[in-house]
Amino acid sequence: MKLSARQICFFLAAVAPAGKLVLMPSVLAARAGNDLLFPVLAQIAVQAALVFAVLLLARDGRTVYAMIADMAGGLIARTACIVFAAFLLFASFVPLVEQKLLVQSLFYDTLPSYVAFAPFFLFSAFLCAKPLAALGRVWDVLALLFLTGFAGILLLSVGSADYGALAPVGNAGAERFGRGLAETTGWFYDAALLLPLAGKFEYKKGLAWKGALCSLLGGALILFFLATYYGIFQEIAVTQLFAFAHMSKYFSGITALGRIDYLFIFAIAFVMTFCAAMPVQAAADALTDAFGRTKPLAVSLSVLFNAALFAVMLVFNFAPSETIAAVTRRLFWIFPLFTAGAPLLLWTAVGIGRLIGRKTHAKK
Amino acid sequence: MKQVNANVDESAAALKKLLPADDILQFCFTDGTGRRMICLFADAVTDKDLLGEQVFRPLMQYTGGEKAKQVAAHVTAPEVRTERALEKLAAEVLAGNPVLVWEGMDEGLVVGTKKVPARAVTEPPTDVAIKGPREGFVEDVKLNTALVRKRLKTGELRIEFLTVGRRSQTSVALCWLDGTSVQSTVDEIRSKLSAIDIDAVPDSSYLARFLSGRPYSLVKQVGTTEKPDIFCAKIAEGRVGVLADGSPIALTLPYMLIEDFQSGEDYFVPAARATFTRFLRLFALLVAIYLPAFYIASQLFKLQLLPVKLLLTIAGSIRDIPLSPSLEMLLVLLVLEVLNEASIRMPKYVGMALSVVGALVLGETAVSAGFVSTPAIIIIAFSGIGLYAVPNLIEETSVLRLMMLLAAGSVGTYGIILLSAFVLIYLVSTENYGVPLAAPFAPFIRRDLRDALMKYNLISLKERSQTIGSPNKRRQK
Repeated sequence: MKLSARQICFFLAAVAPAGKLVLMPSVLAARAGNDLLFPVLAQIAVQAALVFAVLLLARDGRTVYAMIADMAGGLIARTACIVFAAFLLFASFVPLVEQKLLVQSLFYDTLPSYVAFAPFFLFSAFLCAKPLAALGRVWDVLALLFLTGFAGILLLSVGSADYGALAPVGNAGAERFGRGLAETTGWFYDAALLLPLAGKFEYKKGLAWKGALCSLLGGALILFFLATYYGIFQEIAVTQLFAFAHMSKYFSGITALGRIDYLFIFAIAFVMTFCAAMPVQAAADALTDAFGRTKPLAVSLSVLFNAALFAVMLVFNFAPSETIAAVTRRLFWIFPLFTAGAPLLLWTAVGIGRLIGRKTHAKK
Repeated sequence: MKQVNANVDESAAALKKLLPADDILQFCFTDGTGRRMICLFADAVTDKDLLGEQVFRPLMQYTGGEKAKQVAAHVTAPEVRTERALEKLAAEVLAGNPVLVWEGMDEGLVVGTKKVPARAVTEPPTDVAIKGPREGFVEDVKLNTALVRKRLKTGELRIEFLTVGRRSQTSVALCWLDGTSVQSTVDEIRSKLSAIDIDAVPDSSYLARFLSGRPYSLVKQVGTTEKPDIFCAKIAEGRVGVLADGSPIALTLPYMLIEDFQSGEDYFVPAARATFTRFLRLFALLVAIYLPAFYIASQLFKLQLLPVKLLLTIAGSIRDIPLSPSLEMLLVLLVLEVLNEASIRMPKYVGMALSVVGALVLGETAVSAGFVSTPAIIIIAFSGIGLYAVPNLIEETSVLRLMMLLAAGSVGTYGIILLSAFVLIYLVSTENYGVPLAAPFAPFIRRDLRDALMKYNLISLKERSQTIGSPNKRRQK
């Protein structure tokens, strides 16, 4: 069963943004200061364009594997899928470390053993092994949960925010803007997550536009969040690692009612749990395409990937900040290479393929 | 297959051999011409007054021919038919329909004078309505089909009888509206029912397991109701109904989880009130599942979840408790489940005493003795009450509550979140007869949200459920 166009839109507008609210705001505040909105604005614009490109690419109903195999043969297509799956597993590092830090900070008073985080990989394996229809339906529910949680937190927070702290605009300068842009690429790879889904959703007329618009809408939510975040914390924003869990506690009613904002925080944390598992799911899906879509293969890959990631997480257990820093500061170039490079390469190849096809047809 | 022959004694003896039980009686008499006739019937399930009045009395004066049709024409009972096979005749006797054989004819006569002991139609105890119809299904499938037929007086209502159970030979009625129900669903249910190979079917819940897409699932996948008005409303919506003889619980398919948050009464009260009640049920269910778990998680792993004043009160009351918070909560939960189980099984009068012992003696004394804390009892009591807001999901919810408690006690709040994520994936990936269990939320079907948790006014509910996919889309013009 295919995903519906609506589910793709829900994912882009109200599920994917959840993964960008954990550590990205503090990284941005550290790099771009009060101009933190501009690097994200640029990322959002590029991402919307890439989403448009990927969705348009998928309009003929072929999977990425099928597209490459039609042009260059099965071997190259399989190799491409393996490389792309490797990238997605690499991309999953940031959300996994984020999830681990979030769990430690948000759900425990004292530092828990790494075993507390281990069940996540069971959940992730379970999600990866499920058919795509289940994933689409999960997005339907998550979109509603995220919007409720987001609206709740923002409603409780806006009163404490001084949006004037974002001025003067352009204070940070080009270099800090550039660093902000470079170091946030690790969070903007929605188009890459959509790529393995090509051919597995109903392409309705105008979906590419709608998808891009939903991506912009999700971006607008992130911008609003960042503005409020900086408006509340200002100079100390850089130290607020899990801002979404702290922003709303300054609401005056909290004293009387208790931490009712935890309801909204848990709703977002719930969505984030799924976001953290998304790259692994996409990686398993990409490989399943390449090696035959069978249930045993899907289950084996999901177990294998999650076991491997669990092992990696154990190795990096004592250095989560260094892991994040390594991925976002030194290896950030890998993200645009795949997120932008892969769709552009595919577009070019498909274009050339069509051109050759037309010429052959004309000669006949 | 052996058949009736012209020698009446041989035929009767062969039938008696097939039915050696003491409650199978044999009555011999002669007709007006002196021809010997033998009637076999099951004692407790045959209306003997009717048999005497409509069969024996007219036949004792009968002087016509020996042909079955001629004899049948003389019997005044409305339901009469002929049959040759002895095994089929024996089955009819067991079903309560007397069988008549006579000298010189190789056919038996089956007379429909069945009288099955049945209780009166009363209001079902599990589905009480303040407003709306109060009739409930009973254990007799024929009476139940009559209750359905009374409400759906249309030729489109199809009732097909099947027999399930090798030994119980239970009559199962498959009910659907032709042109409104999805034919492939009807066919699939029929084939699943026909394929059941089991000794006996004492209740429709046996059938429910066989009709489920995932028979080992914790979550129910077949709708149940004891009320004919709800049953008919569901059939009119395009669902297929199954009634089993001996069970007052009717099954409806395909099933969606949201059905159990709706009650018959929602359609007899203003839409705003119905919407409020449905949200209240959802809230109660979430409280029942999550409250004990979050209480434990907050005590063990994250005290910040509790407001300071509440935290201080709790700290005061748990200070001298010897058990760990999770063990304490498990113990209280266990006591609640035992009390619940015992109060259902115990005689009514002992039950009264039990509630006094359970609520007052056990609860009060346990707190004052310092075994358990007051907050733990309050939380479990609140959770226990919440569970009954959605009575059709009690089994699922109580298991889920226990699982959440274990997850909270071992991993904390993160355990609760992960377990909830597991449950969500499981629910959304479950389908029955092509209908997703979690619809219309997952997949999101906007049109069906008008009668999901929100309840629109009846006037604006012009179309049938899109999820079920009825070929007859419009409900009203």
